[in-house]
Amino acid sequence: MTNRRPSCEEAAHAAPGGGEPLVQIGLPTGTRSTGFDATRRDVLSLMGFSLGALGVAGCRAPVQHAVPLPTASVEMVPGVPNLYATTCGGCSAACALVVKQRDGRPIKIEGNESSPLTGGGTCAAGQASVLSLYDDARLRGPSWLGNPVSWPEMDRHIRTALGGHSDAREVVLLSQTITSPSTRAVLEDLRAVFPKFRHVVYDPMSLAPLRAANRLCHGVAVIPHYRFDRARVVVGLEADFLGTWLAPVEFARQWAQRRKAGAERAFHVQCEAGLSVTGSNADLRLAVAPSDLGRFAVALLAAVARRLGDEQPAGLDASALAQETTHAAAVDRIAAELVRSRGESLVVSGSDDVATQIVVARLNAQLGNIGKTVDLERPSWQRQGDDAALPALINDMNRGAVHALMIWGANPVYDHPDGAAFRAALAKVALTISFADRRDETSAHVHAVCPDHHFLEAWGDAEPVAGQFSLRQPLIAPLHDTRAAVESMLAWADRPADHRSVVRDFWRRALYGRTTPAPGGFEDFWERTLERGVVEIPRPPVATHPFAGDWEGAVRDIISRGRANRSGAEHGGGYELALLETVGARDGRHANNPWLQELPDPMTRLTWGNVACVAPETAAALGVATGDVVSLTTEIGKLELPAFVQAGQQRRTISVAVGYGRWAAGKAGDGVGANVFPLARVENGARRYWARVAIAKTGRRARLAPAQTHFSMEGREIVQFEHVNEHEHEHEKLPDLWRERLRGAHAWGMSIDLDACTGCSACVVACQAENNIPVVGAEQVRKSRIMHWMRIDRYFEGDGEDARSLHQPMMCQHCQHAPCETVCPVLATTTSSEGINQQVYNRCIGTRYCANNCPYKVRRFNWHNFTANDDFPYNMQSPLGRLVLNPDVTVRSRGVMEKCNLCVQRIQLGKNQAVLQRRPMADGDVATACQQACPTGAIVFGDRGDPDSRVSKLLAGQRAYNVLEELGTRPNVGYLKRIARKEST
Amino acid sequence: MKVRGIVLGFALLGAGGGLLARGATRIGVHQGYAPEQPIDFPHRIHAGDNKIPCLYCHSAARTSRHAGIPSASVCMNCHTLIEKQTTEIQRLKEAVQLQRPVVWTKVHNLPDFVYFNHSQHVVSGVACQRCHGAVERMDRIEQASPLTMGWCLGCHRSEAHVPTSTFARVAANVRNRPTPFAGEDCTSCHY
Amino acid sequence: MSTGAMEPTAGTGPEIAPATRWIEGTPSLHRITTDISRPMEAKPGRGWWICFGIAGAAVLNLLGMVTYLFAKGIGIWGLNNAVGWAFDITNFVFWIGIGHAGTLISAILLLFRQKWRTSINRSAEAMTIFAVMCAGLFPLIHMGRPWDAFFIFPYFPNQRGPLWVNFRSPLVWDVFAISTYFTISLVFWYLGMIPDLATLRDRAVSGIKKFVFRILSMGWNGSQRTWSRYEIVSLVLAALATPLVLSVHSIVSTDFATSLLPGWHTTIFPPYFVAGAIYSGFGMVLTLLIITRQTMHLERYITTNHLEAMAKVTLLTGSLVGYAYATEFFNAWYSGNVYERFHFINRATGPYAWCFYLMVLCNVLTPQIFWWKRARRSIPLLFIASILVNVGMWFERFVIIVVSLHRAFLPSGWGMFYPTVFDVGILIGVFGLFFSLFLLFIRALPMIAMWEVKGVAND
Repeated sequence: MTNRRPSCEEAAHAAPGGGEPLVQIGLPTGTRSTGFDATRRDVLSLMGFSLGALGVAGCRAPVQHAVPLPTASVEMVPGVPNLYATTCGGCSAACALVVKQRDGRPIKIEGNESSPLTGGGTCAAGQASVLSLYDDARLRGPSWLGNPVSWPEMDRHIRTALGGHSDAREVVLLSQTITSPSTRAVLEDLRAVFPKFRHVVYDPMSLAPLRAANRLCHGVAVIPHYRFDRARVVVGLEADFLGTWLAPVEFARQWAQRRKAGAERAFHVQCEAGLSVTGSNADLRLAVAPSDLGRFAVALLAAVARRLGDEQPAGLDASALAQETTHAAAVDRIAAELVRSRGESLVVSGSDDVATQIVVARLNAQLGNIGKTVDLERPSWQRQGDDAALPALINDMNRGAVHALMIWGANPVYDHPDGAAFRAALAKVALTISFADRRDETSAHVHAVCPDHHFLEAWGDAEPVAGQFSLRQPLIAPLHDTRAAVESMLAWADRPADHRSVVRDFWRRALYGRTTPAPGGFEDFWERTLERGVVEIPRPPVATHPFAGDWEGAVRDIISRGRANRSGAEHGGGYELALLETVGARDGRHANNPWLQELPDPMTRLTWGNVACVAPETAAALGVATGDVVSLTTEIGKLELPAFVQAGQQRRTISVAVGYGRWAAGKAGDGVGANVFPLARVENGARRYWARVAIAKTGRRARLAPAQTHFSMEGREIVQFEHVNEHEHEHEKLPDLWRERLRGAHAWGMSIDLDACTGCSACVVACQAENNIPVVGAEQVRKSRIMHWMRIDRYFEGDGEDARSLHQPMMCQHCQHAPCETVCPVLATTTSSEGINQQVYNRCIGTRYCANNCPYKVRRFNWHNFTANDDFPYNMQSPLGRLVLNPDVTVRSRGVMEKCNLCVQRIQLGKNQAVLQRRPMADGDVATACQQACPTGAIVFGDRGDPDSRVSKLLAGQRAYNVLEELGTRPNVGYLKRIARKEST
Repeated sequence: MKVRGIVLGFALLGAGGGLLARGATRIGVHQGYAPEQPIDFPHRIHAGDNKIPCLYCHSAARTSRHAGIPSASVCMNCHTLIEKQTTEIQRLKEAVQLQRPVVWTKVHNLPDFVYFNHSQHVVSGVACQRCHGAVERMDRIEQASPLTMGWCLGCHRSEAHVPTSTFARVAANVRNRPTPFAGEDCTSCHY
Repeated sequence: MSTGAMEPTAGTGPEIAPATRWIEGTPSLHRITTDISRPMEAKPGRGWWICFGIAGAAVLNLLGMVTYLFAKGIGIWGLNNAVGWAFDITNFVFWIGIGHAGTLISAILLLFRQKWRTSINRSAEAMTIFAVMCAGLFPLIHMGRPWDAFFIFPYFPNQRGPLWVNFRSPLVWDVFAISTYFTISLVFWYLGMIPDLATLRDRAVSGIKKFVFRILSMGWNGSQRTWSRYEIVSLVLAALATPLVLSVHSIVSTDFATSLLPGWHTTIFPPYFVAGAIYSGFGMVLTLLIITRQTMHLERYITTNHLEAMAKVTLLTGSLVGYAYATEFFNAWYSGNVYERFHFINRATGPYAWCFYLMVLCNVLTPQIFWWKRARRSIPLLFIASILVNVGMWFERFVIIVVSLHRAFLPSGWGMFYPTVFDVGILIGVFGLFFSLFLLFIRALPMIAMWEVKGVAND
């Protein structure tokens, strides 16, 4: 739709004549300003003024200036967005992205449709990461012992501190998983320079036990590449693979392919303690306490083995094992399903227990899934952390064995139980360096802070899955005086090089050879890859052997421990605290991103903080209600959190989200919620993500910030179901007294598949980014004044552990007979000839009558001036933060009503492209922000006037329905019923 | 006598009201605005005498929302060859040497809640002069049209369904429905 | 309503009951004039100053809060995405309702030849004017940006193409309905005062006062011709005003009736609102008159008979309102519409149930005591009842607006409304504005129509 460019080196490099790059980048021709000075700060404040002053109509405007680029650029035409492929740095999943750059500023992140892994999907955190680029909390430059210094000075300091490379003192790099092959190669080079160089890797949300199990069973310590798209039966054991686990975007896409496959639709079972996005989408969800997960796996293994007529674990008979779990009946059914689709089934587990992982590996082996749905030969590199390594490192540091410690993309003081110990140990290291982009919990205690670029400013590459490569390129010249960590390390190793050439050379040296040579040679290959963003380069399969693990040992281990647990449960507190990751907070690294803080968690619909999720039965037993502050006491310590009564929560468990309680993240992130990472202690070599806990009422109450307060549908047919193997029924059309409204060239419409929507909320952030939606803060959310145009409603069906949680994306339904339209006194909202319910901000006088009369309650009113009122210190208040705003969308002032307009700016752009290219508009020319972000393709936008468009076909299908159809509003947004499997309900 | 007084009074009242109303509807209309520019650039010489096509310098108008003001480098395409030197041209050359952009004063300003796209209109065959007036006869550029919503709608209403040649081709393609581009929908300009 | 005139009156001789006397005793015409113009000529007493002080303070508070509102936006109120209207529109409808009694009394009762209107119509009309002024405030301030309010008036030429207003929107109808009603009421009130203004002109001693009243009385000369034309004009105006009394609140009710919200979307609203409006209007008239007749010693002219007549109207309209409540519930049940049913169950059992029961208590049960004559003639009872009526009518609007909004179609959109200090402050402030205007009125202008009272003095 817009100019897709191979690379934007021009924008990112070579500020002509050494002038400030942002002068030409930051100030588009025609931007309103009051004078001009070529310093970055001024340009930013001008930008700020220009956007802040939106909505000023009428009386004589201030004199405006137009500042052309000093040198004309073919690539950067003011007002024309460019798209560049790059790779996400939001987490170690390293998804391929296409980023929209407008007048030299990256303003919107989109998925890269060429990627065979994600196929154009993104997640909420990825969508929000563009805002982190403009985060005020980012460091403006390097600092030595807390004092700002220049890079040369910094290098001098560090060189002297490092001393000669020859001597044999240990130089350690502590990082989270690094998926970049070129960087890994650089680290190899460093070994050559520093004889005792060591790379310690750990992940806050670790999968080390899974890798350990595969080492024991298949001889390789890897995480297999799972293929949910090949699985007709999926069993997830405490693995939120649709929301947060390993590579959620890719998995969601695979899962959805099966989900939409009609008769081939997969049967999805999820066992978990706390309700997760994945659990809420399962056909069958079983609430299983963490301590029971192993026994459940064992019982499942036994049942499968019995059906396959395989050997049973020695000394234990299946029937006895079946009794180990409370879900005996379900286990048998699941086993049946698994066996029926042998080789097309998949059991995944995020368990932190090696024995359990061995049993799961055994299950997949027995079912013949290895090499089919479980690919060990082309594994995933997305988690390489070693839980034992960090405690060991702390010992070494205390012993004084570590001379220099570099910390990159890791924040152990915050997210590791031994954080305090680590912090203390830092004092024992001669030289501590952090590449953190801010003074966070860890980097506040090091000697040298050498801020790394934001990934949108950086070069790089990634190999998330063996053989699947993607490139990263800068979208903007570094905003601050930062330097790529790789460049820093090479500089200290006396091998200075700029990151771009490092990556390029690596690709030429190590990868180009393995590809089919391009006609234009490497240059050609490099250009094409930059443009496409991703490339598949086959690599020799990892050598594995068939299952050879001591699974019987594992089974016995589990049984014995389980019995101990059970007796323990009978005596002790009897509750288990299960840590979980949420789509908004993830592992806490994005804590200062207000978009994510205000993103309602799809499972609790809460914003700005974490809670202790308690099952209704438990809550009743304890006399706890939502909002009561409870104290949770484990052997590690005690913490207090507001309780949240969550249907679907396992009775004996309390779930708490990690990623909150940062104290040095920045203005938005500090002091939000409580940090539960310290509870995830390391036990015999692996981090445990659950603990025994005693819960008690404190008598105090906390004020939560919920985006939704009522979760029952009150018997109204809002989320509707289609029962499989139910006979086809004709959907009768309700009579309509009005004439057809759509007279235009198009009839825009949208279809939302409730069976494919997982509730991951990527669309919510995408919408916020695309449409300049302000962040309002916890207090306003409490007053139910959240501004999101798109929300994901969550309803419950049934109650207790078996409650089924339903998600429904809800935004303006673009009614043809819109109730809002008739009541607006000034025609500020009308239905366009193309079926869009258009909201005209500059005409709106703010009677709010439309919102009152909207049956879907999707209209949002600007109760305050969120761009100029100091009570809302978020990105719209900061000159830097305003750079993320979309210049094609008006920033609304106070007293104005707003709502979803189907991304009309994208529709206009699409039309314009069509005219410029002298062609008719084709289906798919326009993708709304939510649709583009959706990893499962649940949202389809298009022209309902065109009978062959996808949306027309979908909305003609028998699953299609309109919410509140009986009101006769004739929405242009339709939903596809969620499919309910008879046996699962 | 009395009657005449009353009539006169009403007449005055009416006249005053009328003037007031007219004044009120002129608020924010800057027709005739012709600010001084950092470099005294005469369109008359370039677009008029030398017949340089508008889109040679304002090339962005073909592809972008903004017509764009040419970079100094574009000016140099000709001015490196032309020996005629004036103080104005000297200023321009300085700007080029120092790589400092020339800060022009914007003449045609639309409120920020209006989205006007040059390329849409240029491609549809709307002549630049339709809105910008006889630029080729202006020494200092001046806002020729009122640029009010009513003024925009004037064309959109009268010509929405009488497409120009380019339009015709596109419109014919778009499933033979009236061309969507010059619609009267609010969201044609406001979003 | 006409029964008021035929009731035998207690206190007059036990044997044969003569027609009700609307003035106690037989004061001379001059006496009437002096009695009524005393408040305007004497210095205000301490009581008046205290009342005015309190009311004035409230007005200052109103000014401050509204200024802050315009500066900050209506975010300072407790409104939210679920409940887009609350105190603002509640007050608006409440005050419009209050504004009904005046014109009703002076116009409709004039047409019905109700003599008892004579001594109360003037103050009732004044009250109407002030109430409508108070009501008119809210549409303006509830948008938070009054400088854009002119968008709501259709005018030409405008540079937008031209762009008109949405004539389908009840809010536009309101603009017309209310401005018309205000204009007519104002004219009617002023016209009714002209003869009295002339009297004052003639009584005035100070030059300045004389001058002002001369201007205001438009050279009234009390000739036979003037009087006969005057009578005709008042009759014509009365005929013009009468339909407005019914139309205004009917149109205000369409703000709700034309929407599709359960609890709003119902056809009985127009009559229901008109009845409620007259009910609350009379409530307010009672309150005001009981105070003023006491403090201004006008018991002779505003007699217990007047109060009793008004009590009867209150009883009638109150019962009508109660009937409307019942009908709403019946319709909800009978319609079988899940949303309607839920709404009314929620109204009676939901978080705002207490408002509902308060409303029923005040509006339906209170007036029932007026079945007893003793109640109708007991000043304290009347006073308390009149206060309760207005409390109840305020809560009726609150229930209709907030309770309907806070739990509409999609449970995901449900919310609660909690008033802030600014909601309450502005509510109080507007009462202050109303009372200070009224207090000034009784000082500056004859609060009883002398010439009309004289008409019924000696029959």
